[in-house]
Amino acid sequence: MTLIGTSVPRREDERLLAGKGSFLADQAQGAYHVMFVRSDIAHGELRHIDVSAAQDMPGVVGVFTADQLGLRDNYIAPLHEPHPEFVAATAFAMADQRLALMADRRVHYVGQIVAAVVASDRYLAEDAAELVNVGYAALPVVVEMEDALDADAPVLHEQLSSNEAASLSYTFGDPDSARAQAAVTVAETYRIGRHGAVPLECRGVLTRIDHRTGEVDVWTSTQIPHMVRRGICAATGWTTDAVRVHVPDVGGGFGTKANVYPEEVLVPLLARLTGRDVVWVEDRHEHLTAAAQGRDQVHRCVLSVDADGRILALEDDFLVNIGAGSLWVAGIIANTAIHILGPYRVPAARVSGKGIFTNKAIVAQYRGAGRPEASFVLERSLDAAARRLGLTNVEIRRRNLLTAQDMPYPQPLPYRDGVPIVYDGGDYRACLDAALELLPTSVVAQEQAAHPELLIGHGVGCYLEATGRGPYEAAKISVTPQGRIEVMTGAASAGQGHETSFAQVAAQSLGLPMEAVRVLPTDTGSLAHGIGSFGSRSAVLAGNAIAQTAALLVDNGRRRFAQATGADLAEVGYREGIFQAPGRDPVGWRELAQLGAPGKALEGEPPLYAASMYRCDTVTWTMGAHATVVGVHPGTGIVRVLRYAVAHEGGVEINPLVVEGQVLGGVAQGVGGTLYEEFRYGADGSPRSTTFAEYGLPGSNEVPEVLIRHLGVPTDNPLGVRGAGESGTIAVAAAVAAAIDAATGCTHVTATPIAPRTIKTALEAT
Amino acid sequence: MTDHVIRLAVNDKQIEATVPARLTLADFLRDRLGLTGTHLGCEHGVCGACTVLVDERSVRACITLAVQVDGCSITTVEGLTGPLADRLRAAFSRRHGLQCGFCTPGFLVTATEMIQNDSRPKPLTADYVRETLSGNTCRCTGYQGIVQAVLDAEAHDHITG
Ligand code: FES
Ligand code: FES
Repeated sequence: MTLIGTSVPRREDERLLAGKGSFLADQAQGAYHVMFVRSDIAHGELRHIDVSAAQDMPGVVGVFTADQLGLRDNYIAPLHEPHPEFVAATAFAMADQRLALMADRRVHYVGQIVAAVVASDRYLAEDAAELVNVGYAALPVVVEMEDALDADAPVLHEQLSSNEAASLSYTFGDPDSARAQAAVTVAETYRIGRHGAVPLECRGVLTRIDHRTGEVDVWTSTQIPHMVRRGICAATGWTTDAVRVHVPDVGGGFGTKANVYPEEVLVPLLARLTGRDVVWVEDRHEHLTAAAQGRDQVHRCVLSVDADGRILALEDDFLVNIGAGSLWVAGIIANTAIHILGPYRVPAARVSGKGIFTNKAIVAQYRGAGRPEASFVLERSLDAAARRLGLTNVEIRRRNLLTAQDMPYPQPLPYRDGVPIVYDGGDYRACLDAALELLPTSVVAQEQAAHPELLIGHGVGCYLEATGRGPYEAAKISVTPQGRIEVMTGAASAGQGHETSFAQVAAQSLGLPMEAVRVLPTDTGSLAHGIGSFGSRSAVLAGNAIAQTAALLVDNGRRRFAQATGADLAEVGYREGIFQAPGRDPVGWRELAQLGAPGKALEGEPPLYAASMYRCDTVTWTMGAHATVVGVHPGTGIVRVLRYAVAHEGGVEINPLVVEGQVLGGVAQGVGGTLYEEFRYGADGSPRSTTFAEYGLPGSNEVPEVLIRHLGVPTDNPLGVRGAGESGTIAVAAAVAAAIDAATGCTHVTATPIAPRTIKTALEAT
Repeated sequence: MTDHVIRLAVNDKQIEATVPARLTLADFLRDRLGLTGTHLGCEHGVCGACTVLVDERSVRACITLAVQVDGCSITTVEGLTGPLADRLRAAFSRRHGLQCGFCTPGFLVTATEMIQNDSRPKPLTADYVRETLSGNTCRCTGYQGIVQAVLDAEAHDHITG
């Protein structure tokens, strides 16, 4: 049976196409609504909060401020800390972040929660929230990182002595002498603007109280239910068996929902405080103000190459603006620092980076999380060096990309998990060649003929991404009394089709047809531990966890068969759903499951199941190359992405349709961040991108058709899968910027989003 | 807040309801009628997730008040039935025109209006489909599968008349 590798139609589709999805807001019937009162200034001390008028409004059952909550910890602890080996190798350090869940003394960004109103419906809750009167004493605001690092900048967090949230640095080889010997050294400052996941479904949290037990059931639109449970328990002091976190259908995540949020702690707490079922459904204005954002980096990069364009040394010093805080700051700066080396031979490097606090909104790991930023900086530097040497963008890459002869390729550096980095790729140069086969530079002439009014250019960009980060993922497979196989993992789906692809893995591992298997939505009451879906890890970690657990389930089944029939365990065989042994009647899962029923051979035996955690030693590396052709309108500087191609070294594809969808969607998000999307802020820290009209998501006219070539390069895990969730996004900014430069002949794009104004100005100056 | 009595047809069912003047059509459909297939992505008229048909024309339910559709006939995603709806749904699935599915109801409604519109180009072109869908946002798919799905569904329409 070959289910793995087949584009099985998705099981999710039928209900979603019928309008019968079950998203968070769809489950809110009967619940009281929470409306949060949020800070409208970026930095200040709370002076007073007057809730009396709100409290007297019809339908209001309570208005709560921080001092009424009885929280054990009024903050959420960081979600990631690198392994000690990585800390030692990079002198990694991280500040103690304690951003208030509900502000008690200070506010640190516009949108931070200062009070909560609970009312019988959403309209009444909004009416009442408007009457909550909050008085602030404004404090100086810091928006830009350079200002935050200024010697006399205000220190934004009381418990800290500076605005540095985290830092690291590493050096290998001898970058100084390499630079001294270089034929060409290019130095430039690059900026990657602040944009983010912006899923079409906003966040939302629902809590229902079981009045018999006092336990709370929480539904939240999340990618990481177990971490949410941990956050709730840590802040409230509740035990993990008092709260069960469920995942509804999730309308996109892309990293912003792989975070633990104040609202996820506060909504369950408000349910307990009011004794009612309560729901909070985020609106778009709140989402664009208070949900975690991404990117926002500045790099100073110096690349030294020899006369043939071969890299001698890479030096990069970067800053990440994490706003008021980021529970993922360690992951973001570590990712950036590691991925800046790219898929090339880099004999010497000096890299340092810092996460910086400002008064912008909080930050999480948005699709790529440091990788797109690193790719943009390195690829742009290569283009600059190529131009100086008179090489093409393609040629300088071909001379530096790792090939089959170089593999496996070690770096003198551990990964975040402490394991020495070894690239396990196939042939990175061949991958670039494959992208160019899909979209050769000769396409420029065709597009020029089709669009005589535009300036046309071709660009390429390469990337390497560590995927499938551990340490583990959990899976549980149970057999219902009817013999159906039910699978649950900690990797909650946010639209990636887990119900289908995980069922493919389970069905193939058990030798059963797809119909025999069902994948259940994750809930922390049924699965004790788990990590979640992010960082291109679900297929690798959860996929292998399912395969491993399926083997255990078969063992359990064999044991039960032996027990029931008296057969010798060693002689019990299993094939395609049937257990058998010499001289016994073969039985299937259904019969086996029913042996525990009253009056049957194994009366009283608990239902059959198996559970395990798949642990991986370290990450697996996915390399890819993007090629694009863009058209630039000379009068306006407006850019259209006309053609696009991605070649990538994925591993075994569980469901090629799903993998392709990940790449296509990733490119669209990359195009958005490169050309349109930005969270802009005023000098007073006020957010300026608080509607879809202002934020600029790409539409059907902005996103090109994408050609994809999958170069399957198996890797060292049982299923042979690599992650691909971020492949489409990472190199878009690099490739599009290069194509723009080629089209105009007079620009070197150094910042995203790429403003038409900048291009127009450059064109006018020539 | 003044209440108003409205009479309308929703998915071919006659309904009479008393609603506050400020109740949006989207909230009326979702909260009063339990038709939660109409999704809210922005509540300010940009994303198209809340698109429904009002007297066969697409309308954003998030910026329409329930009182405004008094006397009208509404079709939501739940009410899209018949051969065209079946073909659209099958094509969306085959072409992977949905991932999370949150935008999908809005696209299905807009696509239905497009294909039913007699003044559309015949056969449809990819450019026309992209242009007509440009008021609907999808954050997951990159639109490629959606555009192909609409072309597929229409192509069949064209052949069979
Ligand atoms: S929810 Fe109505 S247009 Fe976005
Ligand atoms: S499928 Fe997720 S927004 Fe379109």
